[in-house]
Amino acid sequence: MDRDDLLRTESAIPVQPVYGPGDRGGADAGIAEPGAFPFTRGVRPPGAARRGFIERELSGEGSPLRSNAQLKALLAQGQNGLDVIGDAPTVAMMDPDHPYARHTVGTQGVSMCRLQDWDELYDGIAIEDLTLSHSLPAIFSVAGLWSLARRRGVDPARLRGSSINGPYYGEDTGYAVHMPFELRLRLAADSIAFAAREMPRFHAFVEDTYYISDGGLDAVEEMALGFVEIRGVIGELLGRGVDIDAFGPRIAILVNCRMDLFEEVAKIRATRRLFARMMRDTFGARDPRSWAVNITAHTSGMSLTAQQPVNNVVRGTVQALALAMAGVQAMEVSAFDEAFRTPSREAHEVGLRTQQIVALESGVTRVADPLGGSWYLESLTDELERRIEGMVEDIESRGTPAELADGGYFRGIFCAAMERHAGQIADGTLAKVGVNCFAVPSEEDRLLRDVVETRFDPDHERVAEIRAWKAGRDQARWASGLEQLRVGADDRSADLTPHVVAAYEAGATIGEMAGVLRESYGWPADPLASRLAGAGR
Amino acid sequence: MKVIVAVLGMDQHENGAVAAAQVLRNAGFEVVYLGRFQLPAHIVAAARDEDADCIGLSVHSWEYRHYLPELLELLAAVDVHVPVVIGGSILSPADEEELATLGVAATFGPACRPEAIVARVRSVVAG
Repeated sequence: MDRDDLLRTESAIPVQPVYGPGDRGGADAGIAEPGAFPFTRGVRPPGAARRGFIERELSGEGSPLRSNAQLKALLAQGQNGLDVIGDAPTVAMMDPDHPYARHTVGTQGVSMCRLQDWDELYDGIAIEDLTLSHSLPAIFSVAGLWSLARRRGVDPARLRGSSINGPYYGEDTGYAVHMPFELRLRLAADSIAFAAREMPRFHAFVEDTYYISDGGLDAVEEMALGFVEIRGVIGELLGRGVDIDAFGPRIAILVNCRMDLFEEVAKIRATRRLFARMMRDTFGARDPRSWAVNITAHTSGMSLTAQQPVNNVVRGTVQALALAMAGVQAMEVSAFDEAFRTPSREAHEVGLRTQQIVALESGVTRVADPLGGSWYLESLTDELERRIEGMVEDIESRGTPAELADGGYFRGIFCAAMERHAGQIADGTLAKVGVNCFAVPSEEDRLLRDVVETRFDPDHERVAEIRAWKAGRDQARWASGLEQLRVGADDRSADLTPHVVAAYEAGATIGEMAGVLRESYGWPADPLASRLAGAGR
Repeated sequence: MKVIVAVLGMDQHENGAVAAAQVLRNAGFEVVYLGRFQLPAHIVAAARDEDADCIGLSVHSWEYRHYLPELLELLAAVDVHVPVVIGGSILSPADEEELATLGVAATFGPACRPEAIVARVRSVVAG
């Protein structure tokens, strides 16, 4: 690493060796007070910051019941919100009995495919008293939770929490659902509009810039792509006649947090400001709650290393500190064993304790926007705002989102970032202690090895259970539920969410419902069937 | 020299595959990039049809533990003798030892540098 690299942020923004009062001329009006437009300094008024942030760890493994035990254990350790992620088949909208799923059911998250899975996942947990966040296909989360609440006698309007909901980038970044762009956008808009009516405290529109960026996008690319998607989904909803203020207050952004502390804090501040201006000035939102975006974060899994895994605890601490000082509403610290495995119980506990220590011992949440007024931070916030805005304009000038997604433009950005990131680690531009500097021989790298190298098997019992359950369903009721969904899907102006609820309640699974939706749009019901046939299965 | 680069099953993490493919291309290899959602039979068919010199798997999920024996058996069954190499951050030193005994020609754990990957693939292909 030479001196030039030290004078650039992780997003390659040039910085000076020192900043002073002359570096941010007269722009202080753009900062304003915490809780006031444009919310650079936070969405809550001074004093409210003391409430801190929701502390939670991303969890879920095996069956819904096994995950339920995991959630309860985290709550017992003081976690004050839940954050659930589906396994690979679930996020791809495939059932656990799909031949492609057999070696991965439950290994990277919870396996969810039917309505009773929601009952089991949240068994014995007061869903009306906690925020419930989901990295699961949004329409199936919204429909499943809504039905669960109703059947428990809880008014769905009391539900708080969120679901990630991004139609643009999943096919290229790890959450492929094999659906056409038009259908992906419809599922997003339908679920958001439904939640705005039925679950007004629930954030059904979480723009997840974490997963799209953790392949190597920098902070500017991350937020630019995030804003392109937010603007597109809002445009779709407005085009249907949904009022901006009906759903605006329940848009949230789930951001990444890498290791460049000031850049990540500046990114979050710039994002709040850009969002506020966009909502008020571009989309005409009148409700101030629509201007103030809740921000949550996952600390970067990609910043963690397989070498000397205990160092990841330190990385998580730096990132949690950055997020706390940025004034996020919630966070999740990626587990120190992230590079190797689905989080262990031990790594979950350390991630949670990291948040608790930052929240309770460091004192950084005592004061709103504690870094505000730093010449460096304010200058960097302005620069990130400029660059993000510029990149959004550039992308939008290149074509419609559908054209860009289907034409591979977005994929090009992601692939270039993956290659760039790998190159930066290889050539040392991006310092990684234990990897490209201060590496130790692997035989000396023993601390925590027993934890990080422990494996568990796919949940084959879950597969057998779902197979047996499917065979025992009321077939007439099930077929009728799917047929109703097909009718709803064919009517392009219908809101699909109530149809999904009805099909769920008739015994249909996520994989079956997704198949019906794909067919309505002229795509094969099972996107991987032709690949299976090609493999002689 | 032609290398197949593939990701197995439902593993949707593609970073390693994309980066490794680029490293190999830069080093002068011809890369046949199969990408995600590959099953052993797909990879074997591609190796045969493309007359590949090496099969490279990028793994970021535990699925490879189940698919690898099947892949090696299929290769033997159709008499395609192409070395298989595996890379991924989830590979521990113990995994690497185990894979070597199963007949994997080379493994690249998280500490492996790009130039080492290129050198190992070259030597594996040279036999």
